[in-house]
Amino acid sequence: MIVKVNKEEVRIFKGATAKHAILKYILKKKMEVSELDEMKVFDSQGHKIGDDAPLKDGQSITFKI
Amino acid sequence: MKKILSILATLLVLGGTGKALGQNIRASYKTDINIVSVNDVHAAIENMPKMAAIVDSLRAVDKDLMVISAGDNRTGNPVNDMYSDPSYPMIALMNQMGFLCSAFGNHEFDSGQAGLARNINESAFPYICANIFTDQELGIQYIPYKFFYVKGVKICILGVVEAEFNGIPSTHPNNVKGMRFAQAEETIRKYLWLRDECDVFILLSHIGYEEDVEVAKKFPQFDLIIGGHSHTQIDGGELHNGVLITQNENKLKKLTHTVLVVENGKVTGKSATNINVKDYPKQNVASKCLVDFFSDNPEFKRVLAQAQTPFSSYEELGIMMCDALKDFSGADIAYCNSGGVRYEDHPAGDFTVNDVLRLDPFGNTAVIVNVTGKELRDMLIACKSQDSHGFPFTSGISCEVTYTDKQQSGVKDLKLFGQDGKPLNLNKKYKVIANSYAIITSDVPGDDQGEDINALTADILMKYLEKMKTVSYQGRKCLKENY
Repeated sequence: MIVKVNKEEVRIFKGATAKHAILKYILKKKMEVSELDEMKVFDSQGHKIGDDAPLKDGQSITFKI
Repeated sequence: MKKILSILATLLVLGGTGKALGQNIRASYKTDINIVSVNDVHAAIENMPKMAAIVDSLRAVDKDLMVISAGDNRTGNPVNDMYSDPSYPMIALMNQMGFLCSAFGNHEFDSGQAGLARNINESAFPYICANIFTDQELGIQYIPYKFFYVKGVKICILGVVEAEFNGIPSTHPNNVKGMRFAQAEETIRKYLWLRDECDVFILLSHIGYEEDVEVAKKFPQFDLIIGGHSHTQIDGGELHNGVLITQNENKLKKLTHTVLVVENGKVTGKSATNINVKDYPKQNVASKCLVDFFSDNPEFKRVLAQAQTPFSSYEELGIMMCDALKDFSGADIAYCNSGGVRYEDHPAGDFTVNDVLRLDPFGNTAVIVNVTGKELRDMLIACKSQDSHGFPFTSGISCEVTYTDKQQSGVKDLKLFGQDGKPLNLNKKYKVIANSYAIITSDVPGDDQGEDINALTADILMKYLEKMKTVSYQGRKCLKENY
C-alpha cells in the first residue's frame, strides 16, 4: 500500500503501523533511526496518534522529532 | 371512573406507538450520565491502578459511572500476552475496576477462537459487537447491542469492529476461522431502529477515527461514538454532525470522561474531557496488588524446548528464528536482520519463554512478500546496508557474500543457493517471510510490498520450540563471507 509521511509517498506492506512507515521514510531520508524514540505522530487532521496506529492505503501522517 | 378512563386513555396512546408498556420508560427529569471510556489499552497494565484510582474518584461523585472500553484491551505487553492463560491479567484488572462492557477490537482475536471464548467467559462484562457472526460450536459469547438503565435513563450501546483486512479484523486469519464479519456501515444501518427504543444511543466502535466521522455524517441518530482502533488522540470530544466522537492514543496514557445531560428522554448537552492517566499521582491498592502479582510471572520461566547442544553464535540462533518463521508460514524462504538476534550463545538445556523474549524483544511482526530470486538478492543486500551487525540470517537458502572491504562497508557480490546446494533460480517467484523491521530495511521492489500476517515473531519462535520439543543447531551455517 502507499501512505504519505510528511507529504512524501512511502510504499509499505499491508498492515503496517505508523512507526513502520516512518522508519521507512527515515531510512529513505538517511536520518538517524534512534531519533524515532522522541517522535510525535499526527494524522492528516492534526490529531496526535500513537506510533502503533494501524495505517491504511492512502492515509497521510506527519511526524515531528 | 375518571381515573380508570385516564389509565385507559394512557394505554391507548402508548398502544398507538406500537411499543409495549415498560419499554417506553423515559427519564422525565434532568440528569447527568457520566462515562469513562478507554480504547486500545494494549495491555498497559502498569497504568490500570492509576485508572482505577481515577474511577474511584469519579464514582465517589457518581456511583452510576459507566466504565467502557472500545476494544484492543490486549496485545502489546508480554506480561499479559504470554500469561499461561493469555490476556487473563487485563481481564482480571478490568473486572476489578467494574467495566460495564467492551467492544471487540481486532486484537481481541489474537489468541484464536478458543482463547477468545475463554477470555469472554472470564470477563465480568459483556462484549458488544453487531457485525460478527460466529459458528455456534466455537462458544464465543457476544451481543450486538445492550440496553443499560442508568438513573432512569435508557441507554443503548451498539458495537462494531473493523474488518478491513481482507474482510476480517487485523489479526492472523487462522484466529478468525469460523467467524464472518459484515461491514460496519451496513450493520449500523440495520440497527438504526434502536434509536426509537432508547433515550441515549451510543456507538461503541473499533473502526478508526476517520470511519467514525463518516458514521457521524451518515447517522446523526447517535448521541455519542466511543471510538478506537486508529489510536487518535482527540482533545476531549469532537462534534461531527451533532454526534460527539471520542478516542484516545493507545496504551492508556489518557482516558475520556464524557458527560451527557439527559432531559425528558433526550440528550440536551454533551461534553468530554481527557484525564491524564499516565501521570496520575494515585493508584488503587487492590489493582496495584494484582499488577504486582501478574508481573511476577512464573510463565516466563516455562520451558519451551530442550537445546540438545549449545548455541555458540548469532548465526545458529538466527537460523533457528528463520526456521520458525518458515515452518509457521509455509514460505519457501525466511530471513531476519542480523541485529534482530539479540544474544550470541545459549547453553544446552532449557529454552524458556524468557529466553525467547530476550532473543527477540522488539515486538516485530512477520511479513510475507512474493518476490523473484533476483529481487530477494537485492533485498538482502539492502537489508545488510542498514545493519551494522552483519548480513541477514536465512532459512531455505544459503548465501555467499563478498564484501568490498574488511569493514563490510559494501557488498561486491552475493550468490544465493537453494536447499539442494544449487544456485537459486533468480527468475522464479518465491514466497518469502521476514520480520517487519527486516522487510522495511530491505526496500522491497515493486508495488506489492507484502502483507503483515499479524503474528509476533517471538510468538512464532515459541510455538516452533514447543512443537519441536528438542533443537540442535550446533555448527549450522547459512552464510559464507568473503573479503
